[in-house]
Amino acid sequence: MSTEPFKNVILIPQTNQLLGLYTIIRDAQTKRPDFIFYSDRIIRLLVEEGLNQLPVTPKSVETATNQTFEGVSFLGKICGVSIVRAGESMEQGLRECCRSVRIGKILIQRDEETALPRLFYEKLPDDISERYVFLLDPMLATGGSAMMATDVLLKRGVKQDRIFFLNLICSKEGVDSYHEKFPDVKIVTGAVDECLDENKYLVPGLGDFGDRYYCI
Amino acid sequence: MLSGLMNGYVESRPDEDRTDINGDSAHVKNNSSLIGSNRSYMPPWTTPYIIGVGGTSGSGKTSVAAKIVSSINMPWAVLLSLDNFYKPLTAEERERAFQNEYDFDEPAAIDLDLAYECISNLKRGKKTSIPVYSFKEHNRVPGKSINLYGASVVVIEGIYALYDPRIMDLMDLKIYVDVDLDVCLARRLSRDIISRGRDLDGCLDQWERFVKPNAVKYVSPAKKYADAIIPSLGNNGVATKTLINHIKSKLQLKSRRHLKEIAKLGHSDNVTPLSQCSNITQLEPTNQVVALKTMLLDKYVDRDDFVFYFDRIATILISRALDDIPCHQISSIKTPTGIVIESPTVVNFEKVTAVTIVRSGDCFMQSLKKTVPSIATGKLLIQSDLTTGEPQLHCEFLAPEIEKFEQVLLVDAQVISGAAVIMAVQVLLDHGVRPERIKVIIYLATEVGIRRINNAFDSKVQLYVGEIVPIEALDGEKYSWARIRFIDSKYFGCD
Repeated sequence: MSTEPFKNVILIPQTNQLLGLYTIIRDAQTKRPDFIFYSDRIIRLLVEEGLNQLPVTPKSVETATNQTFEGVSFLGKICGVSIVRAGESMEQGLRECCRSVRIGKILIQRDEETALPRLFYEKLPDDISERYVFLLDPMLATGGSAMMATDVLLKRGVKQDRIFFLNLICSKEGVDSYHEKFPDVKIVTGAVDECLDENKYLVPGLGDFGDRYYCI
Repeated sequence: MLSGLMNGYVESRPDEDRTDINGDSAHVKNNSSLIGSNRSYMPPWTTPYIIGVGGTSGSGKTSVAAKIVSSINMPWAVLLSLDNFYKPLTAEERERAFQNEYDFDEPAAIDLDLAYECISNLKRGKKTSIPVYSFKEHNRVPGKSINLYGASVVVIEGIYALYDPRIMDLMDLKIYVDVDLDVCLARRLSRDIISRGRDLDGCLDQWERFVKPNAVKYVSPAKKYADAIIPSLGNNGVATKTLINHIKSKLQLKSRRHLKEIAKLGHSDNVTPLSQCSNITQLEPTNQVVALKTMLLDKYVDRDDFVFYFDRIATILISRALDDIPCHQISSIKTPTGIVIESPTVVNFEKVTAVTIVRSGDCFMQSLKKTVPSIATGKLLIQSDLTTGEPQLHCEFLAPEIEKFEQVLLVDAQVISGAAVIMAVQVLLDHGVRPERIKVIIYLATEVGIRRINNAFDSKVQLYVGEIVPIEALDGEKYSWARIRFIDSKYFGCD
């Protein structure tokens, strides 16, 4: 059963399996094939949890034996928005649950002159304001780029309570500063780390997610 | 020697152990007391029907035994020749054997202790290894053996099939094939000279020195222990047919008893609601789970979508079953940024194996591979007999040393009567898998089926079920979809 350790933070169940998965991806010894496989597994759990938060509406269907079954179906459309590059690693997990889901992209990088995050690129579905948005970024450290990305979404007319921010690891510090600006966005995560170090890296964290998923 | 042995046999045999063709009630009683609980499940191979066929060399017992096996015509009827149990010879004995000086026809040439051990293993339903003997080398073929498992009918043939009291004690039916010795000699001569390229003098010499005296001394007296004495196959059409009919009626009885036993497992005094059984986990009916179920139940959903949605729910279910995978402690790991994590939780996905029940369990293959990388997967084919509905084990392929895996996931998409899963769990237990390591994963089940599985194994096996349709709901028509197998038909696209 998921828990809500802080308001609007949904933590997926901390089972043996999940803790074991995190040990694998945090370990510097883990090679890329395993890192990818086991990160993907966690991402899948995050996506399932995110989808569980969406509202449903009653629906009856006819069964193979011609009986009526009163079930439910999803209400409303969704889309994914990944923050390039690390967030793109989570697209596959979303696709595995929603095959033809639309996926928007946002590129935010640190501006060399000002040392602040700067928006370089955005490509989002036109009707994004009518959709539930899964914002994808694996690590929530200071929350700088996530906040900028969320700003982009709000400017496009998306409501805060229709955004689900999925990440593998966050810190209390990052959650607090993010929620200070966007209190109604739900954060779906699998691990809340202790703190950030002087370089604003998560502790213990797992290093640079994008590098480990794509390059190293 | 013979009479002395036989006297000992009669005295040492307690009456209640006696299991003969008319002793079906004693048979059942005997086995249930072994298990210690009358609710436990016993698959057909735990009480195999064992038939012994004895007779002198050249009597045609092999043909009679083969005829019985082929008439039963089921993969779980096996023919076991006592020739497999010839003792390996020493170098000196082998030398004599090559010169036709070794007596292969006396009882001591056969390792009856080993034969007894193997047959009594079969009688208890355990997987059994039978040696392979080479007449060319006069030795057991090294590293080669026949594995027997799951046989519910075993036909044992050999000149000494009806000799060892311990072995005879395990038999349900003892047949002696009776033929005049001169007919036997004629048959042996034509076989040995034509098929085996031996010379006439050698054959006659062997017959006079070994075969005939042993036949008179040891083999023929076995007649008196036989339930039936029949002439050899050439002129025994009626006798063999009568015997086969008798055997078939016994097997039908056995099959009916098996079915009744499965049905009985559904009824018990234990009416604890399933939600309170600690070994049964039902998927929480979250929005996702209910929405997926709705789509899977919709008969108009495309196969494309059906496969996709089933893979999704299957992945959720398998992941749920692995949530409490056993964890180990190691001292520490280091992250790429150099931070040391003390005693992290470590789980070993390599210690997980899966077993699917063909075909419906195969719907989980995709999701299994998605959940555990390169998972070792075994398969069991269990089919219900079309006329009786009795579940039957057709074949079993399991990961080598399956008993060493920490988690064995037994998967099936649907449970209706529970019979196939019960049989499959029993197969795993017979292969040494500990019950607490077995996790049965089922997407859709009836409460009756689940209760039977639970009763059969005393709630020792963990069950993870997507949806259990309660007994009351099954009375009406509304939930009739839970009583038909539709998942695998739709998933694989053929009925």
